[in-house]
Amino acid sequence: MHIPDGFLDPATAALTYLLMLGYGGYALYKAKQMLSAELVSLVTVLAAAIFAAQMLNWPLPGGTSLHLVGGALAAILLGPWLGFIALFLVLFIQCVVFHDGGITTLGANVLNMAIVACLTGYLTYKSALKLIKRWDAARLLGSFIGGWLSITIAGLACGLEIGYSPAFPYGVAVTVPIMAGWHAALGVIEGIITALTILYVARKSPDLIASEAGVGVA
Amino acid sequence: MTCLKKALIATLILVVVSPIFGVFLADLVGYHEPLDVAAEALGLEDLTETMNWTPLLDYMVPGLPAEVGYMLSGFIGVAIILAIGLAASRALRAMRRVEDKKPSG
Repeated sequence: MHIPDGFLDPATAALTYLLMLGYGGYALYKAKQMLSAELVSLVTVLAAAIFAAQMLNWPLPGGTSLHLVGGALAAILLGPWLGFIALFLVLFIQCVVFHDGGITTLGANVLNMAIVACLTGYLTYKSALKLIKRWDAARLLGSFIGGWLSITIAGLACGLEIGYSPAFPYGVAVTVPIMAGWHAALGVIEGIITALTILYVARKSPDLIASEAGVGVA
Repeated sequence: MTCLKKALIATLILVVVSPIFGVFLADLVGYHEPLDVAAEALGLEDLTETMNWTPLLDYMVPGLPAEVGYMLSGFIGVAIILAIGLAASRALRAMRRVEDKKPSG
């Protein structure tokens, strides 16, 4: 889902950079209030793990492939602000060191994977905790649907960005069905990995799941 | 073993096995994301190679076989992220010490 250089027109690139800087500034402000040395370690190790997991491209029958994005996972574990920082770190290193994702499209990639995917996963998980009384069912459904939906909505956002270009007036009509459709299917795997990881952490160290704080789930 | 150490070990294992997925299987069946399909439909041009600045493009290390370069790239990426985290952690500790030394009231 990493948009390379050349896929976005200057206006979309600029707008997505502005959104990244505005949201990133607020996320840093919120993170600074809660940050401890232990939390920094947690964010760093999770970012390193997501970076490594993203290197595992899974080729699928039919000629397509996918890798984990990890936005929902990071946001469920760390909350949306620290989750953003973890994903931003991954995307920034991928872009600057390996040119995986363009420099002109960094704003859009951060918007899709560090903002849209994180917020979608986090809000879905929180909603599941509120709506479903049984903790284990809430965790399972919240993390699975959160992971799946995060990829689907991020894919939709990506389709809107690359389809919205003055040179292609009907681009959105082409790109949105492709991106949202494919990611709705591929997102099932993101949902499964997110759910398995969250269920494992919930069993071993439930206190590490920041989005459960104050909800009464233990 | 702490949770962080376990996560770190799992990360290193992921990097070690990553060439199987990122190089071998990708070469075998072709790496084609939905984004590529959408871009082809619009005729968008990927400028990654035209405006490249890094020798580590595509997670390869010049002069090394693809599998080794991919794994080494993984270690480089993980090391840079951990170094940034360590620097941030030290900066935070130093900041907190300065705050603690400030006379209250």
